[in-house]
Amino acid sequence: MTGAIVGLSKEAAPDGVIAEICIIGSGSGGATAARLLAEAGHEVVVLEEGRDLVGTERTQRDAPMYDQLYMDRGGRASHDLSVSVLQGRVLGGGGVINTCDVVPIPDGVLQHWAAKYGLEDYAPERFKPFTEDALADLSASRIPENLVNFANAKLRQGAEALGLRGEVMLHNRVGCRGLGTCLIGCPIHAKQNPRMVALPKAVEAGARIFTRARAVKVHKASQELKEVEVRTLDPGGYHEQNEIKVRAKIVIIAANAISSPQLLLRSGIGNAHVGQNLMLQPQLPIIGIFDERIAAFDGIPQSYAVTEFEQEDNVEFGLWGFRIEGIMGTPGIVSSLLPFSGASGMEGMAQYDRMAPSLLLAPDAPSGRVEVARDGRLTIRYTQRDDHRARLRKAVESAAKVYLEAGAREVLVPTVAALVIRSAREATQARQLPFAPATAPMLSAHQQGTVRFAASERDGGADLNGQVYGTRDVYVFDSSGFPSSASSHTMTPIIASSRMLTTKLLTRI
Amino acid sequence: MATTNEEPERDGLFTFLSRRRFLKASLVAGGAILGVGGAGLLALRGRAPKVEKLQVLDAHEYRTLQSLVAVMLPKTPAIPIDAAPMDLPRAFDGFLADEPEHNVKDLQKALVLIELGPLVFDKKVTTFSRLGVAERTEHWNGWAVSDNLLRRQVSIAMRKFFNLVYFDHEQVWPHIGYPGPSMKRAQGLTQ
Repeated sequence: MTGAIVGLSKEAAPDGVIAEICIIGSGSGGATAARLLAEAGHEVVVLEEGRDLVGTERTQRDAPMYDQLYMDRGGRASHDLSVSVLQGRVLGGGGVINTCDVVPIPDGVLQHWAAKYGLEDYAPERFKPFTEDALADLSASRIPENLVNFANAKLRQGAEALGLRGEVMLHNRVGCRGLGTCLIGCPIHAKQNPRMVALPKAVEAGARIFTRARAVKVHKASQELKEVEVRTLDPGGYHEQNEIKVRAKIVIIAANAISSPQLLLRSGIGNAHVGQNLMLQPQLPIIGIFDERIAAFDGIPQSYAVTEFEQEDNVEFGLWGFRIEGIMGTPGIVSSLLPFSGASGMEGMAQYDRMAPSLLLAPDAPSGRVEVARDGRLTIRYTQRDDHRARLRKAVESAAKVYLEAGAREVLVPTVAALVIRSAREATQARQLPFAPATAPMLSAHQQGTVRFAASERDGGADLNGQVYGTRDVYVFDSSGFPSSASSHTMTPIIASSRMLTTKLLTRI
Repeated sequence: MATTNEEPERDGLFTFLSRRRFLKASLVAGGAILGVGGAGLLALRGRAPKVEKLQVLDAHEYRTLQSLVAVMLPKTPAIPIDAAPMDLPRAFDGFLADEPEHNVKDLQKALVLIELGPLVFDKKVTTFSRLGVAERTEHWNGWAVSDNLLRRQVSIAMRKFFNLVYFDHEQVWPHIGYPGPSMKRAQGLTQ
């Protein structure tokens, strides 16, 4: 079998593709499944809406990269614009645009899933080999000390001075030169992500990958076959061009916890749980501003995390509490998150090279749902819960104290109106932050839960094999299945979970 | 092979502004739009200078965006770069040309709301583009902190787009201490 990556915006679409297995989505879940299935000798077709954007095409410039690498050109958001939803739309998926954080599912969460949701395959001892394989796929290692940039070092300095637990994070980079633009793609391919590992191996084993191929509907073609209705897109990915059909015996949907339920809902497939239980795990930026030059745009943008306040085994919710993680972006994205306009905005951005930002990451309980209207329009409905607001307030207060301890002149909380903290006493003002809708630039990079795995159809949208209830051989292999937040970062959990589900599938086909 | 005219279904920055919400917001704000009436509104907007080669926006919408950019991204001592030559409204026009039709319509409603903002929200018989710079700045700053969710949303959407594009311009970078993309810098060092 000959594998290939075929861009359908430029190359003629094949007429009537037939494969044993059609995988929708080329991110961590889909790429992993494609590789394992192809290597086991199965005929695999992968559909990806984004394009294959590699090497120096990744220009490190804000406007074109958000346009090409992210869903909705970087503009995807919850229904009231309270949360920006960052979702990859490129061959390789979220792994191309993430900050390379390797954080496996904590044992406390695995125990929680096994006990509360009956996910026995995720019990720590049973799941451990899949996590180990995922770590090997990612070439996971601790970030070298010399690549912890100055901004993250400031976070660490403050945390250590206050006696707070923290860590230099694990990552999946090899040959990293600290170029600093992880969020808009690595031009030297240091990230050992699905684009660089699983997908090349899948192609080598014969998988065919179609890019600029948007799956819009799945339906039954015959007793044995499913038909996936696909629209090809123009080179920019803006407009639909042609329609093709892909027929397959097995369909695996791994298009992210927003797009997977969107496809199922649009297809009229699945039970009432599909699209429900959405977790966005919203993160709030906070910025320490120093008198000295920080130059956080150089080096690895996210390399140190304060883990003191994280709880991995909350009885009700599993992962809980909050983390404080260093971060940085290019000027365009940073400025778009600041709450200023006019002269004050210019003054704020003039301090860009003295900023040491963090993201306050607080796992959430299911708080939203994915809806698809009759005309196909997607709505991500999400309402922040009071407990999430409360933890973010504590996180703001804690992070402000950390930065002040590290010598920050002031700490900016980019809410509307902005909160500027200049002393530990002022940090208590964080307790009054209202977090009303559309007043804080929250970001979601870890969407989960919308086709929840459950032992019974009453409790979830897919069974313990990932098979969507009410279907035969239509599966979901991504973070849609996680019943509660899997981890502070979902790439490793998705790869491990997809490995486990694919291994089970291989025993049945 | 079959072709389709269906536009991609996308969520996005401007999809929050449904017709229903636009009308509701306008009514809640005092019914000013309905009170003045369509003909009166047209007269209030006056004439906008003709603009060549726009793909989506009309001259009125283009002028609203020019007026908006002037107060959002002013030339200041901190960053003494004039945004006008960058023609950010035209960049926005280009962006819209590749957006789904429903997003374009929603955005055009937002531009009407901005232009009539002084009348709708401040009860002033004038338009956004006719306000002096100081008054327009004060009025626009009020959108971000407004109790009205819709105004906050429009403010966010505009800030996201225009800040992203403005700060992606190389002439701005020296004033914020950004030396530019690291790959170019590395290449420069080896040349």
